Amino acid sequence: MNVSPGAEIRNNIRRLRFEKAEMTQQALAERVGVTRQTVNAIELGKYSPSLEVAFRIAAVFAKPLEDVFQYRERPRARADSGWVD
Amino acid sequence: MSFREKSAWITFVMLLGFGIYFAEVWDHFLHPTDPHTSHLPLFILLVVAVVIIEIVTHTIMGIRSPLEAKAPLDERERLIALRATRPAFFVLIVGAFLSVGTMHLGANTWVLAHCVLLAIWIAELTRFGTQIYYYRRGS
Repeated sequence: MNVSPGAEIRNNIRRLRFEKAEMTQQALAERVGVTRQTVNAIELGKYSPSLEVAFRIAAVFAKPLEDVFQYRERPRARADSGWVD
Repeated sequence: MSFREKSAWITFVMLLGFGIYFAEVWDHFLHPTDPHTSHLPLFILLVVAVVIIEIVTHTIMGIRSPLEAKAPLDERERLIALRATRPAFFVLIVGAFLSVGTMHLGANTWVLAHCVLLAIWIAELTRFGTQIYYYRRGS
């Protein structure tokens, strides 16, 4: 899934794994039902998971979705940046 | 490297082997020494070799990581497979049209058939090459 250029999805999976008895990516992947490489890609922000997988990850850590994933709009280019509409 | 990525690499390299066949056919096209030369034995040999090597390498990979081998594609892998299909299909369509174009240039069915085969080969290389690109990129 792609995130629009003006936005980014961050996550706290690495920290949450550490807090959950240093759970490995493989262990998380097995509980979520994806590959370890997919967990790694999500953690690094290279891949944005589907809602279903996002909810499953949150469920593993027993946290609300917002505690695991954060959606942030990047600041837009200023209107007076020299571009003419 | 995941099981699927290794599989894509193996198939990509195996497909490259068919370059031998197209090099032979191209050489025959440029320098037609014997009009009755058949490239079918070479083609069959390559197909059999590729099938055997694919089976052996995938069996070895499956024994080394049985869980990964048995697991169905996850959503990221499905997305990569879909993304790779798009450029491959484009290549195939362009190749098919160009192949038809050879008929208008006076080419015979032998040339047309090989142009279609070439288009399929390049499309498959594009598909697996694109998959490898996305696996390497991580998304």
